[in-house]
Amino acid sequence: MAAGKALYAKEDRRRRTLAGETVDIPFLVILLLVLAVGLTMLYSASCAQSLYDTGYRSSTRYLQRQAVCAVIGLVAMALISRVPAEFWLKMAWPLYFGSIVLLLLVLLFGQTVNGAKRWINIAGLQFQPSEIAKFTLILLFAKLTRGFGEDAKTFRYGVLGFGVALMGILVPLALERHLSAIMLMGMVAVVMMFVAGTRGKWLMAGAAGAVVFVVVYVSLLGYAGDRITAWFHPEQDPGNTGYQILQSLYAIGSGGLFGLGFGKSKQKYMYLPFQYNDYIFAVVCEELGLVGALLIIALFGALILRGYWIALRARDRFSTVLAAGLITQIAVQTILNMGVVTNLLPSTGVALPFFSYGGTALAVNLGEMGILLSISRYRNRAAKQEEFL
Amino acid sequence: MKKQRRTRHSGRLRGDSGQHRRILAMAVFLGVAAFIPVALQLYKLMVTDYDYYYEKAQNNQTRTTLVAPDRGTVYDRNMNILACSEGVETVYLNPRELRQAGVDLEETAQELGALLEKEPQWILEQAKDFSMRYKKIADSIDSETAEKLRTYINTQALSGIHLEPASKRVYPYGTLASQVIGFVNASNTGSEGVEAAYDSYLQGGSGKVVTGKGNNEMDMPYSYEAYQAAQPGCDVVLTLDTTVQACLEKQMAAAIDRYDVQNGAFGMVMDVDTGEILAMATLGGYDPNDYLRICDEATAEKLKALQQQYTSLPEGTQKYEEARQQYLQALQAAQLKQWRNRCISDGYEPGSTFKVLTMAAALDSGAISLNSSFHCGGAENIPGRSQLLHCWRSTGHGSQQTPQALQNSCNIAFAHIALSLGGERFYEYIRNFGVMEKTGIDLAGESKGIFFDRELVTNTQKWGTASLTSGSFGQTFKLTPLQLVRAIACVVNGGYLLEPYMVSEVTDSQGNTVLRQEPTVLRQVISNETSKTMCSLMESVVTDGTAKNAQVYGFSIGGKTGTSEKIDVLDENGNPTLDKIVSFVGVAPMDDPRYIVLVALDTPSRQTGLYISGGVMAAPTVGAVLADILPYLGVSRSYPEDAPQGKTVTLQDLTGCTVEQAKELLQQQGLEALIQGNAQTVTAQVPCPGTQVTGGSQVILYCGPMAQQQTVLVPDFTGMTYQQAADKARKVGLCILPQGNQDLSGATVATLQSCPAGSPVPVGTTVRLTFTDPALRD
Repeated sequence: MAAGKALYAKEDRRRRTLAGETVDIPFLVILLLVLAVGLTMLYSASCAQSLYDTGYRSSTRYLQRQAVCAVIGLVAMALISRVPAEFWLKMAWPLYFGSIVLLLLVLLFGQTVNGAKRWINIAGLQFQPSEIAKFTLILLFAKLTRGFGEDAKTFRYGVLGFGVALMGILVPLALERHLSAIMLMGMVAVVMMFVAGTRGKWLMAGAAGAVVFVVVYVSLLGYAGDRITAWFHPEQDPGNTGYQILQSLYAIGSGGLFGLGFGKSKQKYMYLPFQYNDYIFAVVCEELGLVGALLIIALFGALILRGYWIALRARDRFSTVLAAGLITQIAVQTILNMGVVTNLLPSTGVALPFFSYGGTALAVNLGEMGILLSISRYRNRAAKQEEFL
Repeated sequence: MKKQRRTRHSGRLRGDSGQHRRILAMAVFLGVAAFIPVALQLYKLMVTDYDYYYEKAQNNQTRTTLVAPDRGTVYDRNMNILACSEGVETVYLNPRELRQAGVDLEETAQELGALLEKEPQWILEQAKDFSMRYKKIADSIDSETAEKLRTYINTQALSGIHLEPASKRVYPYGTLASQVIGFVNASNTGSEGVEAAYDSYLQGGSGKVVTGKGNNEMDMPYSYEAYQAAQPGCDVVLTLDTTVQACLEKQMAAAIDRYDVQNGAFGMVMDVDTGEILAMATLGGYDPNDYLRICDEATAEKLKALQQQYTSLPEGTQKYEEARQQYLQALQAAQLKQWRNRCISDGYEPGSTFKVLTMAAALDSGAISLNSSFHCGGAENIPGRSQLLHCWRSTGHGSQQTPQALQNSCNIAFAHIALSLGGERFYEYIRNFGVMEKTGIDLAGESKGIFFDRELVTNTQKWGTASLTSGSFGQTFKLTPLQLVRAIACVVNGGYLLEPYMVSEVTDSQGNTVLRQEPTVLRQVISNETSKTMCSLMESVVTDGTAKNAQVYGFSIGGKTGTSEKIDVLDENGNPTLDKIVSFVGVAPMDDPRYIVLVALDTPSRQTGLYISGGVMAAPTVGAVLADILPYLGVSRSYPEDAPQGKTVTLQDLTGCTVEQAKELLQQQGLEALIQGNAQTVTAQVPCPGTQVTGGSQVILYCGPMAQQQTVLVPDFTGMTYQQAADKARKVGLCILPQGNQDLSGATVATLQSCPAGSPVPVGTTVRLTFTDPALRD
């Protein structure tokens, strides 16, 4: 530990000499662009539902709520972008345990929405602790990666070390029956372990284990058969299990090359359920067509690539792994969501970052992007120079 | 070590071994590679399979509502409307919408209940079924009520109450020709009769409204409607004449009443030259406006009793269920019975009316001539027939020639005629008369009768002659009334077998003819000469034979009576009930036959005391029908020179004439004068000028100041001979006009009078008396 402190002192000096003063502008621009497009599409996708729910009085009920959270998130992002990585390094363990406590509180006092206990009320604020838990897990993994160093390649650290930390979060989530969060965190964790240096064979074994776990877990939940049938043959039960995905495919397919035009989705008029959260991308495809959808995918791709670019240029290993973990989370979520909406993957319930309705998720995501921006502020210019010279 | 590594990876950090590469790999994988399957899938969905998903989405987002077309109108031959569709409206509630709009359900239900004449409580129940979006609360409301309802909805600004146009089938003539016209059932399909047979024409093509709508009835800002108009149904013009139909039904109903007929009656009027059906009736019918209701009062009464029986039982018990089933079955049977057109659907034993065909065949083939003679001893053992053959007259008809055989309707003579004709020829002729095939009439539900197998009548060696001989006088087989009428029409029209038809023309809504039916001659069965001979023979049956009661003054009528026992109807003990169908087929006018009329009365009661026979019951009924319809159809009366009483004359205006002049004028017309008053000129007369009176009637001439018109009470003439009736009438100062049987010698008695006995009428009123020979058998 003494050696670590000494190193940090050195790095601190380096920061002062090499660090940039501003955040990474391209990343920020892409992020704001994604957010702007996301909010616009949320308005279009949610207006029908809003009209329906308010008895035709308002088309912006959901946009308003989302916009408030976006503002909160942006403010948080701006503030967090000024917080140095050291703060997060110090906070990793407390936040980790704090989120476990929150998850357990959910199990005890949580609110049940749509049959799942995932929400909690704290001081009048309703939010999903799993959103916090995702972040704290990434944070802890980054800290562990830094601490393990080359030991990450050993079974003891690379597998057991990360594994125990992962289970601390996954077990309460499993009790919450929050499969989508488990899958998402599992994948992010695997990517981070890979980055940390855990041996490929262990990761393979872990992935195989995860698949077995998912199969067993889903069969225990009791709707595995339906979900798999709905995935492969949605048309077999168009009124029930296949309804959601069929409506999604109708929306996407009827968009065609150039789409029906912004705001002109028909499927959003109560045909496509969850059209403004998990299935917002189907409405995007219907309104903007293949061209628009590919442009939005490109935007996400650019955000993700620039995120990894920031990670690669981070000042220290903790920052690198933290940035990589955060952007990985965004990437995995995006890919899972699009895969589900286009029926490449069975339905799981993962939202599209910055697009889907959901205040906690948006604010937390933006806050996380604040960390990325903060890391980009203190990036390693020397590395960049060396790499590209 | 550290230093070395740091030198090697200058600018990189501790523990960085391979990390850079791994992050790059993840960046490529998660930033680019993982999106490729998504992009490919999008390409497949949005470009390759675009058409499929576009159509699916279209179907998904639109609601297609079918618009029922206006059903075509059914006209009679004079373009009287027999069936038409009337625009009405259906009222339905959308309970979800009602709830969303926060409508005061209690109050609305009260108002709606009052407007629509429904139980408010029931409406409230419908309105509270929030799981539904469509609850029909009223059917077929007229435009006036609909307008009131609309005003109410608008003034209260209610939502969730909707009206939609519908149509209702209306039959202005009610029960008239109900089985011929048929009805339209609940699923808007023609059922029975013309409605069924011409359903595809009458129906028209449905239109549709395609509406773009959100799910849960949500309006879309760019919703659209595409409208495809419904194609109205074609109109159908029948050959039926409502006047003729009404006459036929009226006389049949009167006969049912008079002879206490137990099981209904059927009859028809057909044009013998074209096969057009002018009237077709099955009494014991129904009202197509309310086709489920049982019209026959006795049956309705029985059903009501059955219903009460099961409703009185505790619900849910075995007994309740059984009684309920019993009621439902009885109800259904009664409905099917009243919808049935017996003229085409049911076979019956024709009895003696069939002899016309046997004789036509025998004359045409040359097996007998007009001069052939037959002996009837009352009963005879026919070779090849185990049963002794009885004639209806047990004393026998003695020696008779061909015309007398038909006039007397002698079974023994006909057995001999059939034997000389031979089974082979008999079968061939009967087949050619169309007795073994459907007539092909354009109505739903035609059946054909049951005739003997060829073998049974032709191979007399093996099967004996029982079928052949019984067949010759119309027993032990069945044919439909229409088959018989068509075959007899063939006998009198020159020998041509026709395809009868009910619809002459089908026109579309623009008036273009879609279908026109012309008379169809299928084949010639007998020669013109045989046909002529048969006409005179049939006329002689009415003038001299068993059908005298069918006579109508001024018209030459031919025909044949028939009485058949229903051998297949058994009583509770399994014995034949000996119920009878009495019938008469009449043809007129005989110099050039144009119309054929059949009336058959099923099971006249024995209680009336009348002799149950076609001659006594069916013949006068057909006579009355002919007397009604022939003048209407434009057949002119002609009187034989030697029948002064039969001749009706029209009174001329005698006022102003001197008494002597008036007397002379009346005498020229064969009328008598009764002078009242002392003046020399006639000031008034009874009956008034223009009245038709029969020859020999009395005309009261008032001379001088008009004497106060006297009234007299009509005596009961029934049972009197013509002479007795005439005397009685003269005594009280009334005129009588004989009708029916023209034999006024004393063998006939008055059976009907046009003014009821005991009713007060002015002096000089003409009372029409129908004379009938009560002993005529066949």
